[in-house]
Amino acid sequence: MKTRELKRILSGALVLSMAASMLTGATIASAEEDTSVSGTIEVGGWPSGDDGFEAAMEGFNEVYPNIEVELVFTDTTAHHQSLQTALAANSGAPDVAMVEGAYIAQYKNSPALTDLNELGAADLKDDFVEFKWNQAISDDGSRLVALPWDLGPTLYYYRTDVFEEVGLPTDPQEVADLMSTWDGVLEVAEKVSIPGQRWFLPSAAYPYQWLFINRDYYNENLELQLERDGDLECLEACLKIRENGWDMNVDMWSTEAYAAYAAGTCVTVAAGSWFSGFLKTDIDPDGAGHWGATVLPAGMPSTNWGGSFLVIPEQSENKEAAWAFVKYMLATTEGQNTMFKAIDYFPAYKPAWDAAPELYSDPDEYFGGQAPNSIATEIAADVPVVYNTIMDTTAEGYLYSSFNAGAEAGETPEQIRERLGNDIENACAELKQQQIQNLKDAGVWNGD
Amino acid sequence: MKTLLLLLAVTAVVLIVISVLHPIGKKISLYLILIAIALIMLLPFYMMFVMSTLKTNEIYSFPPIVTFGSNLIENFKNMTAAVNLPRAFLNSCIVTFSYTILVLFFCSMGGYAFSVYDFPGKNMLFTILLGTMMIPATAGMIPWFIMMSKFGWVNDFKALIIPGCANAFGIFWMRQYCQNNVPKALMEAARIDGCSEWTIFFRVIAPILKPAYASLGIMNFVNQWNEFTQALIILRKEKMYTLPLLLRSMVSDRGTDYGAMMLASTCAVLPLLICFLCASKFFMDGLTAGAVKE
Amino acid sequence: MKKKTGFLGTLYKNRVAYAYIAPFFILFGVFNLFPMLAGFALSFFRWDGLSAMHFIKFDNYINLFKDVLFWKALKNTLLIGIIAHIPILLGGLVLAYILNSKLVKGQNIFKTIYFMPMVTSSVAISIIFMNLFGYNYGLINYFLSLFGEAPVNWLGGDGSLIKVAVIVMFAWKWIGWNMVIYLAGMQGISNDIYEAAEIDGANHVQIVFRILIPLLKPIILFTLIQSTIGMFNLFTEPFILTNSNWSGGTNNGGLTLMMYLLNKAPQGGNAYGYASAVAYVITVMIVVISIVLNKVTAEKDPANTKKRGRK
Repeated sequence: MKTRELKRILSGALVLSMAASMLTGATIASAEEDTSVSGTIEVGGWPSGDDGFEAAMEGFNEVYPNIEVELVFTDTTAHHQSLQTALAANSGAPDVAMVEGAYIAQYKNSPALTDLNELGAADLKDDFVEFKWNQAISDDGSRLVALPWDLGPTLYYYRTDVFEEVGLPTDPQEVADLMSTWDGVLEVAEKVSIPGQRWFLPSAAYPYQWLFINRDYYNENLELQLERDGDLECLEACLKIRENGWDMNVDMWSTEAYAAYAAGTCVTVAAGSWFSGFLKTDIDPDGAGHWGATVLPAGMPSTNWGGSFLVIPEQSENKEAAWAFVKYMLATTEGQNTMFKAIDYFPAYKPAWDAAPELYSDPDEYFGGQAPNSIATEIAADVPVVYNTIMDTTAEGYLYSSFNAGAEAGETPEQIRERLGNDIENACAELKQQQIQNLKDAGVWNGD
Repeated sequence: MKTLLLLLAVTAVVLIVISVLHPIGKKISLYLILIAIALIMLLPFYMMFVMSTLKTNEIYSFPPIVTFGSNLIENFKNMTAAVNLPRAFLNSCIVTFSYTILVLFFCSMGGYAFSVYDFPGKNMLFTILLGTMMIPATAGMIPWFIMMSKFGWVNDFKALIIPGCANAFGIFWMRQYCQNNVPKALMEAARIDGCSEWTIFFRVIAPILKPAYASLGIMNFVNQWNEFTQALIILRKEKMYTLPLLLRSMVSDRGTDYGAMMLASTCAVLPLLICFLCASKFFMDGLTAGAVKE
Repeated sequence: MKKKTGFLGTLYKNRVAYAYIAPFFILFGVFNLFPMLAGFALSFFRWDGLSAMHFIKFDNYINLFKDVLFWKALKNTLLIGIIAHIPILLGGLVLAYILNSKLVKGQNIFKTIYFMPMVTSSVAISIIFMNLFGYNYGLINYFLSLFGEAPVNWLGGDGSLIKVAVIVMFAWKWIGWNMVIYLAGMQGISNDIYEAAEIDGANHVQIVFRILIPLLKPIILFTLIQSTIGMFNLFTEPFILTNSNWSGGTNNGGLTLMMYLLNKAPQGGNAYGYASAVAYVITVMIVVISIVLNKVTAEKDPANTKKRGRK
């Protein structure tokens, strides 16, 4: 009896110790989380924001030698998702987090983010580009939840070597003049394309998307605003490009398209000016001298494509240090320009432009001596203030797929526009309810 | 499409004709079909290995390159510069091994109890258990995460190991096996010898369960090794990344180095494949034994 | 020993059994049941995780059933699932039958190769398949071009061919698993039965349909429920194949239920209340399908009646 009792205890102990060893084995790697020292802040975001921060860190630590910064970076989607869950759970968020322009509308009313005005951002208002600043203000106008980092003045990138090969001009001004009408665009498209081998664009859907790239799909009454100046002419040209096989018919962010940019088999593409950095360091690092950049074709207005913000979650336990970091990086000429030089994030902080004019107007060797940044500066000054909602990213996704569906079904431009309207309204139904709720909560909803 | 369909039809007719004509022809056509399917099964693996030796722009060339390239070393350098593979490997091992061992332990106990003991509420409890297998975990994702953060388990492997370590499928699996392979006479004999229930389980039953341990172990190991959704919201820090998170982190808006990424995928899959190939016989035996009726 | 009665007594008398099964019920209660109940409560609210929660009664469920995309996603999921089950079930059975019939040698090699897809992570494999099905550079289109065919836009086009790619991936992954399970079942069937059937002059097709399938019913049911759950969880494959577009590609051709759910929350968006409602609807569908499958197969199942008789 005694031994049986003993055995029972022993085997019970075995179970416990097994489980315990499993637990300790699992916790080894996470033990240092508890040793967070005051003065250490965690900054979360996506590449290449980390390269920018690292470039400016030396300057930051000269001013704040006692703040230690830990960078927690992952890809854009994963970052926003984990930030979102951490805010919902009220725990686990970094002290400072990047937020991409397309997502800012979801956050601007959130009490989970610190009102930066309280930390002293109010004084900085005039230093920042207005349309960007406006995006970060809550709907009732009382709070500022994010400080703008960069803009994305939309540039049109093209392969100068291919243009030269087919006898087209390569100078930005001449290219812009040549392509100032849809006829000019189609002429260029025809010249540079060799169906099945070389293509004018990644997808014929994109010229249509450029019309909406400020992401101002809805107005204050949450009515869809799809009718734009010249949108039907634009769609007609897009359809011609598709019919003639002048586009690759793939997503512009796919690796397939990236490989084609580098190989010179996809000849032109438009994106925010941060795309210069993408080209230089990742997509086509050996491509110096064969890229050019100019304004959007066919007389499209000046637009802004993305660009990020920094936020400080309310749950941060070291807001002072976090704010010091945000302020140094985004609201000093030194911070902004160092990062601009490193990763081509075009500062939304206006004093930075004048402090180092050479960064903005000097010829860029990668672009064969062109100065895309000076074009970007002109565009930046021209971008209007727009109204953004939480439906914008979903709507943007449908520009691409609805155009493809319409083109495949042989629809007319009017039909494609109508299809797009239906698709967006369907996909955004719940988001729209949430947006109305947000506006109601903010006390600014006029509808029923 | 016509030429292609025609070709397929001709092949099928030829195979049928030769198998009707002669028994050897039948064998040959069976082998041809089995080998063709095997090749289709292996093609994606082969392409993964090939791509890990190619430059990204070589992956996107026409006609596609289907033979090994010369960029393996370069890809390896890029991979090691971009990510800490050994660390992720270690993390994956910690999570997967602890999880699998706990699963085997708890599930064999549970399955054994449902199989050999008679106790009030047994049928009801087992039905409930089976029912839980059908519920997608997503139903409680957000409250689950809030709970994890209240426990302080964010950025902690415990969150990936503990919650699922006594799972319904495992218990169901073990019960099936016990029902067919645990002779009650053996237990009676052990009881008469004066063994406690614990001892019977550890000394007498556990050794019998070996094949079931192997099959259940491999299944859970594979699932946990590839687990992505929970890991994504729990493990935030790069040094905590498991292999699937590491692979995902190599996909970037700024351009993905597919060569390096495929090499990393190869490194993630290869150990598993090798283990599986070595243990495949044991594993298949475990599966078979579960279904055999004594 | 003193005799105890009542609930505690029963508990004490069967303490070993209860102790053995307790870990599952405790862990399930804490880590699954509680979050799920909380999720159920959440499904009656509108909440974006960032601002105040609003109680909206059944609105999430009502809106869900009014959503065209939900029905599209359901249709896609069922279509992909049902078509994919043909190769998975039939192919798995036939392969298992061939490998079990001793007609060919090297069963172990074939078994292992067919099972290999189960071992891989879907992220890496989806990227490979994306390349295989690529429009401009894909291996499949290259293969077609050898026969003078024009390239097929598998992942674009009008969106219907995305399903083909997803079905191929789904079948590729599951066929080996089903084969191994069926093989296990077949090895439990005595060889005498086959021999007797052959003497009676039955051919292979008759043996499979008249003898094997009825005998393997419980096992087929098990794999069917498993791959049904797999079908409702289908997300990573179509998502990567459509280049991470939450619409599921052109005309929502690759939009599955799980993608629809995750797009609402927590991955693609933050409509937590709505997503909880979707999750509950999916759960109910899985449970209903499982019960129906159970009913259908239980009707004329000799194995089950025998078990019931034994009790």
